[in-house]
Amino acid sequence: MTRFIRYVLLVVGAAVMIYPFVWMTGAAFKTFSEATRRSLRLFPVHWQWQNLADTWDGAKFDLFFVNTFWVAGWVTLGVVCTSLMAGYAFARISFPGRSILFIIVLATMMVPFEIILIPNYRLILELGWYNTYKALIVPWCANGFSIFLVRQAMRGIPADYFDAARLDGCGHFRFLLLVAAPMIKPTLVTVALFAFLGTYNSLMWPLVVTSDERLRMVQYGLVVFAGGEGAQRFNLLMCAAAIVITPTVILYFAAQRYFQDSALGAGLKG
Amino acid sequence: MWTPIKRHRDLWSALVLLSPALTLLGVFGVAPMVYAIYLSVYRFRYGTISFTGAGNYQRAFEDADFWASVEVTAYYTFLVVPATLLLSLAAAMLLRPIGRGRGALRTAYFLPYITSIVAAATVWRVILNPQFGMANALLEVVGLPAQAWLLEPRGMLHIISGGRVPFEWGPSMSLCCVVLFEIWHSAGFMIVVLIAALANVPREMEDAARIDGAGRWQLVWNVTVPMVTPTLFLLAVVGVIGAFQAFNSFYALTGGVPDTATRNLTMYIYAMFYENQQIGYGAAMASVLALALGGLTLAQWRLLGRRVYYES
Amino acid sequence: MIDSKRIIVASQCVAIAFVLVGCGGGGGSEAGFEPIDDSAAVMWVRQTTTAEVLLNEIVDAFNAERVGLPVKIEYAGDYGDIYRKVSASIQAKSLPGMTVAYESMTTEFAMTGAVQRLDDLIADPEVGLTEDELADFFPGVLETNRYAALGGGTYSFPFSKAVLVMYFNQRVLREAGISDPPRTWGAFVDQCRTIKQKTGKFAYAIDIDCSTLDGFLMAMGGDIVSEQGDAFAGPEMLQVFQMLRTLVDEELAYLTPPRTFEDRSALAQDEVAFIFRSSSHLAPIGELMEGDRDAWGVAVIPQHDPEQPRTVLYGPNACVFAIGDDQVRTSWEFIRFFSRPENSVKWALGTGYLPVRKSAAELPELKAYWAEWEGHRVPYDCLTFARPEPNRAGWQEVRGLVEVAAKGVVTGIRSPEDAARELSTKATAILKAAAP
Repeated sequence: MTRFIRYVLLVVGAAVMIYPFVWMTGAAFKTFSEATRRSLRLFPVHWQWQNLADTWDGAKFDLFFVNTFWVAGWVTLGVVCTSLMAGYAFARISFPGRSILFIIVLATMMVPFEIILIPNYRLILELGWYNTYKALIVPWCANGFSIFLVRQAMRGIPADYFDAARLDGCGHFRFLLLVAAPMIKPTLVTVALFAFLGTYNSLMWPLVVTSDERLRMVQYGLVVFAGGEGAQRFNLLMCAAAIVITPTVILYFAAQRYFQDSALGAGLKG
Repeated sequence: MWTPIKRHRDLWSALVLLSPALTLLGVFGVAPMVYAIYLSVYRFRYGTISFTGAGNYQRAFEDADFWASVEVTAYYTFLVVPATLLLSLAAAMLLRPIGRGRGALRTAYFLPYITSIVAAATVWRVILNPQFGMANALLEVVGLPAQAWLLEPRGMLHIISGGRVPFEWGPSMSLCCVVLFEIWHSAGFMIVVLIAALANVPREMEDAARIDGAGRWQLVWNVTVPMVTPTLFLLAVVGVIGAFQAFNSFYALTGGVPDTATRNLTMYIYAMFYENQQIGYGAAMASVLALALGGLTLAQWRLLGRRVYYES
Repeated sequence: MIDSKRIIVASQCVAIAFVLVGCGGGGGSEAGFEPIDDSAAVMWVRQTTTAEVLLNEIVDAFNAERVGLPVKIEYAGDYGDIYRKVSASIQAKSLPGMTVAYESMTTEFAMTGAVQRLDDLIADPEVGLTEDELADFFPGVLETNRYAALGGGTYSFPFSKAVLVMYFNQRVLREAGISDPPRTWGAFVDQCRTIKQKTGKFAYAIDIDCSTLDGFLMAMGGDIVSEQGDAFAGPEMLQVFQMLRTLVDEELAYLTPPRTFEDRSALAQDEVAFIFRSSSHLAPIGELMEGDRDAWGVAVIPQHDPEQPRTVLYGPNACVFAIGDDQVRTSWEFIRFFSRPENSVKWALGTGYLPVRKSAAELPELKAYWAEWEGHRVPYDCLTFARPEPNRAGWQEVRGLVEVAAKGVVTGIRSPEDAARELSTKATAILKAAAP
C-alpha cells in the first residue's frame, strides 16, 4: 500500500468524522430559510454572526456554563482523589477480601444507569439534597473505571520502587503522594478528563435531582432550547450545539499534551 | 519480611485509602442495585404496591414489546461492536506509521467522542432530515431515491435488496442510522486505545517476520493483530457493556418518542420505569438486562479469551 | 494477624450494613406527605422564557395582595418530566404545593391519596366560588376536572386551555385555486389532491400526536372511550387511519420527525397548505409568518357534520397536593386567583392559551384582540363544543399506543385495519386493568 493511498484513506475517513461539525458550524450562521432548504451547500452565503448573540440570549447559557464548570470541577477533583487512593490500595496493598472487593467495584461499571436512578433519587430526597449542588456532585465522585485505570497504572510501576521505599521505612501515604502519583500522571490526566467530560455531558441525573433553573447545566440547557426557541429556528439550534461543544474541544486540545499514546495504552495493556 | 505490625499498618492504610471510594460506590452504586432487585418483586400499579414474586419476570417473558426491544438491543450490539472494532483497527493501523499530520488526523478521529451526544445527535438529526437534510440532498445528486432515515421502520435488508427481502427481517433503517451514529461517535476512543496498543508491539517481531519473507497481509494477520488481541478483547468487552446500556444516542436521535424499531431494552425500561411509573416491572427488566450482560461478558471471557495471545 | 483480619472483615461488614440500612429506610416514614419547601407553596410548571415571566407577574400580584405563605414557581421540565417527578416525589413522600398536570396523570396521583380534593374549598363561603362564578366557566373546562373514577370529586382546576384547530396557508391555497379551507373530511382530502395537482406541493405536514388523532376521531363523529370502557371501539379510528394512509400513499402528506416543530416551519415556508396543532401555537406560527395576516388563517378542523362540530380540548389543569392546611389553602387561593376573568385573559393573551370564563368575552383587552384579526376568535368559539380526552388512569400509556399505531400506518408497515384493531384491543385492556 503506497503512502499516498494510506493518506487518502485516512483523510477521507477524517472528513467523514468531522463532517457533521463542519455542517453544524456552517448552519449555525445561516439564515433560517437557508438552513431549512435542501441543498449541498455547506456554508452560508452571508455569515450571520448575530446568530451567536441571538442564541446566547435565547437561554441563560452564561449561567449554565458557570454551573457546569463548578460541578464538573468538583467531580473531577473527587474522582481523581478517590480513584488514586483506591487504585493504589488495590494494586499495592494485600488485604483479605481484595479480589472480591475489586470484582464488586468492576461490577458497578456494568450496572445500567436506569436501574439505580430512582433509588438514588429517593436517597437524595431523604438526605435533603434535592435542588442542591451536592446532589449533582457527590454521587459521581467515585467510579469503577477510574479505579481500574489507576490500578493498572500502579501495577505498571516496577516493584523495585515500591520495595526500595518500604526498606526506607516510607509509609503508603507518603509513597502514594510523592512517588506513585507523579509517576502515573498521564493516567491521572485521563481519569480527570473522563470525569470532566462525563459531568459535562450528563443529562438525566441533573434533570431528575434539580428543577431550579439556577442550577441548570449546559446539556439540559441545550435540550430545553431544542424544545423551545431552537425548535423554531434550526440555525440557532445548530449555533447552540456549537456553543455547547466548544469548551470540550478546547479542553481536549489543552490536555492533549498529557494525553499521549502511552496514557491509555499503559492502562489497558494487561 | 512481613512483621505483624507492618501488616496491621497495611490493613489500616488500605481501609483509609479505600473508604471514600467504597462508601460512595456502595451507597450510590451497589445499594441501589440491591434495592432495585427488591423492587422488582413488587407490582406498582397506580399508587398501590403489592408483592408479586416472579410476576414481573413472567410478564416480561410474555411481553412482545419486551422481546422486540431485546431484538433491537441484540442487533445494535452485534452491529456496533464488531464494526467499530474493525474500522478502528484499520484506522489505527493506517495511522501508525504516519509522521506528518498525525496530530491533526488523530484529533479529527477523536473529536466525535469528546463532544456531547445530545449536541452531536441534534446535528445528525438535522442532516438526516428527510425534507431538507444533507443526506437526502447527496442522494439526490447521485440519483438514488430519498430516504426517511430515522423515520424509516422498514428493514435495511429490505431497502438494499429493492424489496426482495420482507421488511420485517433484520434491523430497521432507523436502527441502522443509530448504529452508524454510535460507530461514528465511539470509534475515536477505540482508535486512540489501539494506537497505544500498536505502539507497544515490539518492532523486532515484525522485522523478523519480514526478513523471513512474510508478505504484507501475512504480516498483519499473523503477527501484528495477534499482538494486540488483549486490547481488542478488552475493547470488545467494554463495547458490549456500553452497547447493552446505550441510551443517550437512542434518546437524542429519536427525540425520546416510542417507536418499536428504535427502542432498545434500556429505552423500554426507561419508558416503563419513568413514563408509566411501573417501577417494579422496570426494575425486573433492568435486573434481567444486568444478568444477561453478566452472562454475555462471561461468555466472551470464556470463548474469546482463549484466542487472546499473551506474551510469555 | 488474626486480630487485624477480623477488624478488616468486621468493618467491611459494618460498612455494607450501614449502606443497606440507610437505603432501606427510604420508604418507611408513615408521616404522610411533606412539602419540599416549607417557606412557600411551590408550583411545578412547564413554562419557560416569556410565559414564565408572565406567570411570575401574576404570582407577584397574588403574593402582594395577601399575607401568608407566598407562591413560588419552579420549572420542572415538560409534562412527561413533571409526571415522573411527581410520581417519584409521591413515593418519597415529599411534594410541592401544586403542579400542572393532565387529567389522567391527576387520576393516578389522586389514587395514591396525595391530591387534595377541592370540592370543600370550592363550596367554602370565604375562599370558594359562588354558583354564578362556577356557571361562568365553560362546561367542558370544569367537567374534565371531575373524576368519575374517583367518586366524581374535583381533584384539579383549570389552568391553561386550548383546542385543536387547523392552520392553513392562504398563499398555497390561492396558488391551487382554492378560496376557502375545507369544512368536511371529504372536502379536505379533495383539496389535498387539488393542491398536489396544481402546485406539486405536499398539502399536509403530519405531526403524530395522540391528541390530534383524538380530535380527528371526535370530528369524525366517534368517541374515544365508550360508556362500558371500550377504547376506540367504533369505526372512526379506522377511518382516521385510512385517511392518513390515503394521504401518504398519494403523496399528499408526509411525516415530520417527532418532537420538532417542522410542520410549523413547513407551513410558514409555503411548503404545505395544512397543519393541525393546538391553538396555543397561534403566536409562534404568527411569528414565523412574520405577521402577514393575509398569508395564513385558522379554522375549525374538518367535520363529519359541520352543523355539529367537535374538536379536542387540550391543556393542563392545576392540582393541589395534600401537604398541610397552610400549603393547601395558599395553593387553592392562587388557583382561584388565576382563574379570575382578568387574569385568565392576561394569561391567554400572553401565551396563546384560551380564557376559561365566558365573561372574559366582555373584557376590553380580549375584544381588542379579536378585533385585530378574525383568526383570533376561532379557537375561542371552539370552546363551546370542545371535549376533553379521558381522565382515567392508564390513559397515559394509551397515548403512546395511539402514536405507535398511527406511525405504523403512516410509514406503511401496518395496514389501517390491523393497526386500528390492535389499538382498540390493547387500549381497552389497559384502561380496564387500570380502573380502581
